[in-house]
Amino acid sequence: MIFGNKKEKILIYRIESGKSTNSQDSLFWSRFRKNRMAVWSLRVLWILVFFAVFSNFIANEKPLYCKLNGEHYFPVFKSIAIDFGLSDWDAVFQSTPWHDHQFESVIRTPIPWSGNTIDLKSGNYQSPLDTHKSEFRHWLGTTDLGRDVLAGMIEGARVALLVGLISMSLAALIGIILGAIAGYFGDSRLKISRGRLILNLIGVFLGIFYGFIVRSFNYSEGSFGIEFLKSLGIFTVTFILFNLLSILLKRNSFFRKQVTIPADLLIMRVIEIMNAMPGLLLLLAAVAIIKQPSIFYVMVIIGLIGWTSIARFIRAELLRIRNLSYIEAARAMGFSEFQILLKHAIPNALGPVLITLAFGIASAILLESTLSFLNIGVSDEDVSWGKLLSYARQREEAWWLAVFPGLAIFITVTIFNLIGEGLSDAFENRE
Amino acid sequence: MLSYLIKRIILFIPTLLVIAIFAFGLSQLTSDDPVLQYDNEDGRTGVYTKRDLIRLENHYRVVREKLGIDKPSFYFSLNAQAYPDTLYKFLLLEEREALRKLISTYGNWPAIETYFNQIKQFEYRILALPDGLPRKEMTDLKKGVRDLYDEYKAEVIASKLEKIETVLSKDSTMTVELGAFFSDFKGNYQNVISTATTYKLYIPDFKWQGFNNQFHHWFFNFIKGNFGYSLITRQPAAKRIIPALKWTLLLNLSAIFFAYLISIPIGVKAAANKGGRFDQGSALGMFMLYSLPSFWLGTMLLIFFTTKAYGMEIFHGVWAGNMKFENFSTDFWDTIGHLVLPIFCITYPAFAFLSRQMRGSMNEALKQDYIRTARAKGLPEKTVIWKHAFRNALFPLITIFASIFPASIVGSVAIEYIFNIPGMGNLILSACLQYDWPIVFSVLMLGAVLTLVGMLVADILYAIFDPRVSYKKN
Repeated sequence: MIFGNKKEKILIYRIESGKSTNSQDSLFWSRFRKNRMAVWSLRVLWILVFFAVFSNFIANEKPLYCKLNGEHYFPVFKSIAIDFGLSDWDAVFQSTPWHDHQFESVIRTPIPWSGNTIDLKSGNYQSPLDTHKSEFRHWLGTTDLGRDVLAGMIEGARVALLVGLISMSLAALIGIILGAIAGYFGDSRLKISRGRLILNLIGVFLGIFYGFIVRSFNYSEGSFGIEFLKSLGIFTVTFILFNLLSILLKRNSFFRKQVTIPADLLIMRVIEIMNAMPGLLLLLAAVAIIKQPSIFYVMVIIGLIGWTSIARFIRAELLRIRNLSYIEAARAMGFSEFQILLKHAIPNALGPVLITLAFGIASAILLESTLSFLNIGVSDEDVSWGKLLSYARQREEAWWLAVFPGLAIFITVTIFNLIGEGLSDAFENRE
Repeated sequence: MLSYLIKRIILFIPTLLVIAIFAFGLSQLTSDDPVLQYDNEDGRTGVYTKRDLIRLENHYRVVREKLGIDKPSFYFSLNAQAYPDTLYKFLLLEEREALRKLISTYGNWPAIETYFNQIKQFEYRILALPDGLPRKEMTDLKKGVRDLYDEYKAEVIASKLEKIETVLSKDSTMTVELGAFFSDFKGNYQNVISTATTYKLYIPDFKWQGFNNQFHHWFFNFIKGNFGYSLITRQPAAKRIIPALKWTLLLNLSAIFFAYLISIPIGVKAAANKGGRFDQGSALGMFMLYSLPSFWLGTMLLIFFTTKAYGMEIFHGVWAGNMKFENFSTDFWDTIGHLVLPIFCITYPAFAFLSRQMRGSMNEALKQDYIRTARAKGLPEKTVIWKHAFRNALFPLITIFASIFPASIVGSVAIEYIFNIPGMGNLILSACLQYDWPIVFSVLMLGAVLTLVGMLVADILYAIFDPRVSYKKN
């Protein structure tokens, strides 16, 4: 019965704590909704998200539907399936460019150009105001090789939002874990057994050895990203194995003895180190090392560099939360420290992280567009706003290349900053 | 205060050391041969005589010593047991790469070492052959042996060896001179395969490499002020950094100066009529400016105001070549013409940021009790704001300077790139793209040192300007 009693208590506790946060949340959102600029920004963001998600169906050189030699095709859908490795192109479409087919009947996307379609008929920087020579109009002009600017802008929306999403998810993951450990445990509360500490150190050592050093040759041959993920997998498995081993070591009294780890001191030192290095230089150097340029790597590196502000935010929140009475209650009920941290402390600290996330996304998008503007870390196939803007330097007369992509970056950065402002105003009026 | 200072400075040392190790580790990840970068050409082509070969090796030795890469890379190494700790002694990068690959396939270093050293012996022997041998066979032989350096796959090596054997069998002199050596050589290669110990690849081995290593030398030279040599221009790194730093400092310091000059009155005025029309208007304006990407504005300004295309050629355009400032009367206005737009582009984000900060700290100051007292005394509002609130609101802005300044050392990469200013931004950009690690290191370390010093200076300034702040232990 004791067991059942405890479960009941947990249930009641959960419902109660859930209730209180819900009402907190609704209050918070009602305060947020009063900020008109932020609400409008959110609306603009939905439009951007729409363009990003459906960019394949809005701007694409492939038709949505076409009939060729008596057969029906749905090339846009097929291209998505091919991206996931589920299908292959029919022979008819492999040799001839999409615009050269004589379709019997066809439904095209609203903008029948992809971001990197080369259209030499309208090449050499055609202005949006010029009479157009191509089959379809280039509404916002073209670049040197006749790439459609409007199509590039729409595909760029996807790249920009992905940059924000991926880099900040990574940053949030690292920042929340490290910041929570630093804030919740401080310098004196993280205690682990001697055996576990030793095994963890050996685990890291062997994880690096088997994950990265032994496999260093695979990097020169395979794709960097996939090889790195494999290495990371091996590292994690080794690390977990050694943590499991530590359970066995607990039987020995020497290894069972508890050691205090100054988590806060160590993590704050790491943050200080990260902040002391000039971020852009670090980013440039790291991107330059990877010799197969891809926007994906840029996103990951931005995430790896940008977690410090999130960690500091979470740390500050947890310093406050860890002294609240409900945490003490949870501790009295016999939850383990990690359970309290994961289930009760972190969820309550996540609100303010939204603020740093919004500002973080804005600066990640700005950083990525700066890098593509400098032509670093983008391959030839990648289409991004920064890269489109960089064409403007090559031809001064091409005002459309200077104005439109830059405007898109400006709007996106502004709305994320405004959302961040709205969130932080709503939080400041919390008490 | 003094003990606090000393404590902070001692805490710098581990931080700087970790940053140095990190930067050094980054450079080790690249797969380029610094000697080739330094040479700007492929030093291995054109080796046809013994003299050339020896000269090439001597050249490598000299350059490696000058660049400090003729040593093990770090204090210790963590590698599989199969690898020797003397691999760095092989001069050419290709040799080291091929050796690593051979080891990773067979894992028996002693046999591989014998085989590999014999390739060199083989080369020397070929070069020592008497004159008058058929030219085609000689070239084939030389090329065949040289190719062996880069190979590690069993089937490729076997086919190369076969080719060499056929060449050797065609000419009687060659067979006599090299036949015995070649069969010995082949035997050594067979030995590598037959005594393979691949299990050694999975046994971790920790080796102490001593203090005479690349990192040690580089780090202590950096502390002494010797930043090494640029791989691209062969100049000492400091010689490239200092001129670039001058332009960047000129640009950024004037930008920061203007930013402070404008933002302080705006921030004060906005805070003084809080919630008023000026406050709201300036807040929105500042916010927009803050979000406006400076590289976009820079590009637009460059395109619309410096080129003939739109008939608005007001400022000087992109700087061509090296900027010089020798003759004051002629160069002054020219320099100004080039610098107005970039300075503007660096100023406005800082200005937007600073006036928001100024408004915030002024708001905070106006809430204080002493302001209420001053108003109650009947002091005019102007005196209250400028004499009582303003002085206290200024501290945060002074400390911000200590954090802005180190960041400006790295420069505004995009702005310098757009306007082609030969400052730090452009230097870093080209150094990163050309893998000029000595430059990247030095700038990274300089930036880190200045940031740490900046943080310290901010804290000290705080204590000086605000007597309430104390770093003494209670």
